[in-house]
Amino acid sequence: MTSSTPRLRPLPLLGLALWVGLLVLVSVWMSRQAYHWLPVQASTAAPLVDGLFSFETGVGTFVFLGVISVMIWVVLMHRAEKYDASDAEPIEGNTKLEVIWTAIPLVLVMGIAVYAIQVNTRLGVLGPMEHIHPGNAVEEVGGYPGDRLPPETVEVIARQWSWEFRYPAAGVSSTELHLAIDQPVTFRLVSDDVIHGFYIPAFRLKQDVVPGTAIDFNLTPTREGRYRLRDSQFSGTWFAANQADVVVEAGDAHAAWLKQAAAQPLQSGISDAVQEYAVRDRKSNPGWATVPPAPPPQVNVPGSNTLPHDA
Amino acid sequence: MTSATFPSSEPKPSWTRYFSFNTDAKVIGIQYIVLSFFYFLIGGLLAMIIRGELITPAADLVDRTVYNGIYTMHGTIMLFLFIFPVLNGLNNLLIPTMIGAPDMAFPRLNAVAFWLVPIFGTLLIASFFVPGGPAYSGWWSYPPVSLQNPLGNLLSGQGLWITAVALSGVSSIMGAVNFVTTIIRMRAPGMTWFRMPVFCWTALAAQSLQLIGLPALTGGAVMLLFDLIAGTSFYRPEGGGDPVLYQHFFWFYSHPAVYVIILPVFGVFSELFPVYARKPLFGYVYVALASFIIVGLGLIVWVHHMFPSGVAQWMRNLFMVTTMLIAVPTGVKVFAWLGTLWRGKLRLTTPMLFCLGGLFNFVFAGITGIMLATVPVDIHVSNTYFVVGHFHYVIYGAAVMGVFAAIYHWFPKFTGRMPYEGLGKVHFLLTFVGANLNFLPMHPAGLMGMPRRVSSYDPEFAFWNVLASLGAFLLGVSIIPFLLNMVSSWVRGPKATHNPWNAIGLEWLLPSPPAEDNFGEHVPTVIARPYGYGLGQPLVENQAAIERELTLQEATP
Amino acid sequence: MTTAIPPTGSITPHGEGGEGHANHSLTGFIIFLCSESVIFLAFFSGYAVLKTSALNWLPAGVEGLEWRMPLINTIVLVSSSGTIWLAETFMARGNLWGFRALWLLTMALGGYFLYGQAVEWSELAFGFTSGTFGGTFYLLTGFHGLHVATGVLLMALMLIKSFLPGNYAKGEQGVQATSLFWHFVDVIWIILFVLIYVWQRH
Repeated sequence: MTSSTPRLRPLPLLGLALWVGLLVLVSVWMSRQAYHWLPVQASTAAPLVDGLFSFETGVGTFVFLGVISVMIWVVLMHRAEKYDASDAEPIEGNTKLEVIWTAIPLVLVMGIAVYAIQVNTRLGVLGPMEHIHPGNAVEEVGGYPGDRLPPETVEVIARQWSWEFRYPAAGVSSTELHLAIDQPVTFRLVSDDVIHGFYIPAFRLKQDVVPGTAIDFNLTPTREGRYRLRDSQFSGTWFAANQADVVVEAGDAHAAWLKQAAAQPLQSGISDAVQEYAVRDRKSNPGWATVPPAPPPQVNVPGSNTLPHDA
Repeated sequence: MTSATFPSSEPKPSWTRYFSFNTDAKVIGIQYIVLSFFYFLIGGLLAMIIRGELITPAADLVDRTVYNGIYTMHGTIMLFLFIFPVLNGLNNLLIPTMIGAPDMAFPRLNAVAFWLVPIFGTLLIASFFVPGGPAYSGWWSYPPVSLQNPLGNLLSGQGLWITAVALSGVSSIMGAVNFVTTIIRMRAPGMTWFRMPVFCWTALAAQSLQLIGLPALTGGAVMLLFDLIAGTSFYRPEGGGDPVLYQHFFWFYSHPAVYVIILPVFGVFSELFPVYARKPLFGYVYVALASFIIVGLGLIVWVHHMFPSGVAQWMRNLFMVTTMLIAVPTGVKVFAWLGTLWRGKLRLTTPMLFCLGGLFNFVFAGITGIMLATVPVDIHVSNTYFVVGHFHYVIYGAAVMGVFAAIYHWFPKFTGRMPYEGLGKVHFLLTFVGANLNFLPMHPAGLMGMPRRVSSYDPEFAFWNVLASLGAFLLGVSIIPFLLNMVSSWVRGPKATHNPWNAIGLEWLLPSPPAEDNFGEHVPTVIARPYGYGLGQPLVENQAAIERELTLQEATP
Repeated sequence: MTTAIPPTGSITPHGEGGEGHANHSLTGFIIFLCSESVIFLAFFSGYAVLKTSALNWLPAGVEGLEWRMPLINTIVLVSSSGTIWLAETFMARGNLWGFRALWLLTMALGGYFLYGQAVEWSELAFGFTSGTFGGTFYLLTGFHGLHVATGVLLMALMLIKSFLPGNYAKGEQGVQATSLFWHFVDVIWIILFVLIYVWQRH
């Protein structure tokens, strides 16, 4: 902006340089802060996404503060005097400036785009690229085609409103997702009814679960702990309550859990919606109409979704 | 404006014309604006219930079904019954007067387009009272949720919702045909394209987007309605349909819809900054043309709403790049406004404050918009409160504040009365603080992983939600000084002269309020570009005589 | 969105803008047609997406679509574009009766098309709810048929108006717009015919 001022004396120029330097420092500090606004990093994807977000926060802070500095400067310094009804000096434009400020955002966003495409490509190599199998998913899953799936595959079945996780190789089903640390895992995402969203904030990954298709989705957890899996695509009345816990544990602990789980008899899994629906039925004025929740899935291990979680 | 016209001798038009099938664009404009604020109050009340529910983590204020219906109706009312109608109101007031036309090209069609608004508005509000309640699947109405129809009745809230949205589309198309024809065919003599005010450029760009985009949504909605009531399976997976197809139809229109909203607001900024900085608009030609670059790019970005829906990697990268390119023409505009303000003689009137506040919020929204465009970050924050915060900064922080700026600025022209400055400044302060307190905390909540549209949430999000709710209640209060100001100044405000802000433009060469046919037979010939502040050259032929005549009329009691 | 805005009427009370005498109806109508074409574009692309991604496109027991009668219908509709053009030429030469005769012939051809469409529908073995195949078929042909019917009604209106004295004092925009609409309906049908009847293999 200042370049529109025809003559630059050394003192204002020094002031401007100091101010820009200060903005750069603030932007760098903000880009560091950005990591703290995000949940813990619990997958191989998380550091990549967070790095990009931090970079964008830095650039964005600089641009925002730059524009706002100009606005504050003009509001403070270029106000009309009281009773001054005259016009300002009529500057109608400046082609050189137009070219510069077309080029600056162009270079900036293309830089960010190149960085983002690189992250995208690395994420693709690491796993979270989805493969879609069109067709009647319900049929495919109903037959438990365990022999067709690689051993580390977990089937995820989304319903109104519960999550069911099946480990075909171990013959285990659960309403709490257990994963082994540093072990790549393939999910096969299917939905029984409407579109749901498979979203684990600590992993920074999200994939819609679309009825009528089975979607393969890979990731690698990197941090032990208990995390939230949330439904991220509005799925009806108990959408908000459609959450499950994800437990990332050491390899041997995971194997032990699978073995122990396989020995458990089938029982009703977690479905907050079913519980709330039963209570709601007894109310005199229950609200507007709703689709009844699907019955709780019959699983070996219900697990919990009330324990404290890391993210 | 020659001595042949005696506006003072005409009978004072009755206020009842605002409640009739009137074909005067200025009456229709005021009808649009007043009606849209009626719906704004309803939509705002729903927002208060939403934020009341979300002030605590549990779903304890209303039942979850009620919450879902309310957030759906909040979005639908605010978009289809507030922001589009209020902008059409501004179009009706400003386009004919700014280009020197006596009225719109098709006045009767114009009136029909307006009267459709209360009709579909009533349909939509009526859906609160049908068995089962209103639509509850969000303003996107994604199938299969929107097809579930729990009671199985033919008459359902969702069915009424689709009908209302389709009627809104018909009304908007009628409006768009009218605005575009008027701008193309009815400009004053001498008003070449590059002598046209930027507001008209942005209106032309926005209405072109309506014409291209809206039919796709209407087509998609027709198929949704057939799936809902006629048993077809366009989007039903069990019948071989594809639910994601609907998302393409929906976003092909609904992303450009954001530009339909923001472009006229860019027009308002471009009109007002020169007036209150007393300088020509910096780089007028670039600002005017940038609108059409935004139109072109805006039509090829829609898939960025569907990054997690399962689209191919190449599509993700392509639509990420097109989305980010929008920052370039938008940046040109922002820098042009800064260039206009630079070394100006700023007057911080109420409309100017709203413009500056709107620009502040818009720059912030632009930066979060770039973050959302990048696929890896979007995958994490899409469908979270980060997105809700982003678009409320755009729609409320920038667009609604721009609408307020426009209302304060042109109020004297079309009512003949001055709005009160003090109340206006209180309104600005409450709006600016309220909007930021309401929408800024949504960003950290979203980054932490709080999904949007939830009726309950985990306790770790409580802090940010309490802040947001307090901001929302402040925003709710902020409308009171506005309504007080509008009503009291319209009834007993000081009389306005024809040009109280000393602004340049054809509309300021009309009396306040203008006669029914604006310039009538005496349309002035435009001889200069708009925004000639400080240049000392007239905008039209015989400008001095026209202004003398107007001043003389004002001096006669 | 299903019916056209009447191309006549709605002239500004003052009848002129700044740039000389202008009846804006034709401009407005062309803008409207551009917009209307997008709704067909939406339906066409939806049809293509559903067809290419379907596992079982044809419903059980349906072999495909009979194309001979629709082809006759196509020839009828395409030739009606020629007759309406001739009608306009007569109008331009001031031969009002020639205009009326060819105008009526165009209406008859449009009417025959609708009749053929109705016969075809009544003989089909599948319905609107027979999967995405049946849905898109009836949606496309039905929505187009609605436009043909609108066109015939508009032509009837123009024909009646042609008997009113002084009808063409302000120009022939009504006739021009109707003719334009008819060509539009014709072009849409050709695309539709290719998409539905020619592109049968799945």
